[in-house]
Amino acid sequence: MPRTESKLVEILSSLKLAIFCFVLLMILVVACTLAQVQLGTFLAVEKYIRSFLVWWTPEGAPFSLPVFPGGGLVGGVLLINLVMAQFLRLERSWRKAGLWIVHLGLALLFIGEFGTALFQVESRIPIEEGHTRDWSEDYRKMELAVIDSSDAMFDDVRAIPESILMSKREVMDPSLPFKLMIRGYHENAELLMRTATDAPSPATAGMGTGVKLRGLPVVTVDDAENTAALLVEPVTPDGKSYGVFLLSNALGAPQGFAHEGKSWRLALRNRRYYLPFSLTLKDFRHDVYPGTDIPKNFSSLVRLKDAAAADDRDVLISMNDPLRHGGRTFYQASFGKDDTLSVLQVVRNPSWTLPYLSCLMVALGLIWHFGASLKKSLKRPA
Amino acid sequence: MKALIPLLVILVISACRDEEITRVRVPKEDAPVVAAPAAPEASQALHWDTPAGWKELPGTGMRLATMIPPGPGKAEATVVALPGDVGGELANVNRWRGQIGLPAFDEKGLAKSRTKTSSKAGPVTVYDFTSDGTKKTRVVAGTLSSKGRIWFFKLTGDADAVAAARAGFLTMLEGIHAAH
Repeated sequence: MPRTESKLVEILSSLKLAIFCFVLLMILVVACTLAQVQLGTFLAVEKYIRSFLVWWTPEGAPFSLPVFPGGGLVGGVLLINLVMAQFLRLERSWRKAGLWIVHLGLALLFIGEFGTALFQVESRIPIEEGHTRDWSEDYRKMELAVIDSSDAMFDDVRAIPESILMSKREVMDPSLPFKLMIRGYHENAELLMRTATDAPSPATAGMGTGVKLRGLPVVTVDDAENTAALLVEPVTPDGKSYGVFLLSNALGAPQGFAHEGKSWRLALRNRRYYLPFSLTLKDFRHDVYPGTDIPKNFSSLVRLKDAAAADDRDVLISMNDPLRHGGRTFYQASFGKDDTLSVLQVVRNPSWTLPYLSCLMVALGLIWHFGASLKKSLKRPA
Repeated sequence: MKALIPLLVILVISACRDEEITRVRVPKEDAPVVAAPAAPEASQALHWDTPAGWKELPGTGMRLATMIPPGPGKAEATVVALPGDVGGELANVNRWRGQIGLPAFDEKGLAKSRTKTSSKAGPVTVYDFTSDGTKKTRVVAGTLSSKGRIWFFKLTGDADAVAAARAGFLTMLEGIHAAH
């Protein structure tokens, strides 16, 4: 092995590096916790924990500088350190089997967190009593829904993710008979009624012509929602424009146009994830302790219908008893409309079992290791 | 060392995956989206009693309701609810003044022209402006803040027609109540 490589291997497998990484993680956890006050939980975790570098933007500067390793980088180095130390330094014997299992369990914990960061999708289902839903919605991401609503029974929906709306000026899809020109997108905006003295609205079609738009900084704190706004212009291949529409999740009225005998609707809405099964809310309960307003229990009785899995049953979802079905977990999250609306949190995480498996392995490894040590010390003459 | 490269490649590819346009055919919805902060939810909604004899038209665009008072002359009342502070009180008042050709107010003028009335859903701030000129127009507007939204109730039209409908309009404002 060349000298530089052997030196690198020595550093990467050293205990000092592991301790250094633990110290960095502690600093990150403290910084992330403090940052949650200003940024909200989600963005603070994204910035400090689920990133490879922590970036800082000097006040008024148009650039950012990396100032600290992020949780992803530290975790990755720690994972490499753990694996290398295990294979290069840990004795391969039954005597050390417990420590092998503990190390493998810890490695699995890191891999699980990477899996969660990369693949977990969180969404929600707001559902009223008596209503059925086969989709959940993302409460942080938006989408432009282009809906062919000509059919009496079905809607043909093309969903264009927010990342495309933010990055492209022209959106084309082979299944659409027109292209969409993105004339502007605000993650957060204020909508005002336009007055005669205001400049003409950038919208030339739909209800947006009477609205004035003002961009606002994005809000990230918990319990705050952005009002997104999109200016979009459908244009046919021969250059005919249907006008610029102003769409927003704060404007409820449907907007659209007719093209080649078909009725098209445009909507800027929370991103939807369609489910291969449906949930019908039969009853929502908000129990309180007798004689008080103190909540005792929140629960949703839902009818789960999954034709593909031949599953049709009632399920009670309560605070600590979620429904797990189809690779998703449904938690009781919120409620509204005088206790006739339930909001279920939906988490899809392909690696959700890894932390449980990891904890089990670490516990087993420790029992094995300390059990062996105890056995050895008991055998020793007094 | 080389064994780690595939792991890093998988991580990088996964992190850089692009989002795509999706297409799905779904049954038409049985109800509007209930959690979107668009139209007020039923629990957030306010109710009012349309004055007797007034014609109520369904809401269009941003309007939740349009009401036409009886009698000669042109006048109509509208109801709009928007999230946030919608630019602030001064900006809204000056917008109404601008609509009938009056100059903009400053904070002092705003305070002088402001009156209050109470409703079951909270205090309603009322403004009443009449234009200059031979053919006068008038706007009577009530605003009410409820659960993160500003509700605008506006009666506007020919000054005479608005004067005739004003009492009924103010009674309607006093009767605004939250949904149960």
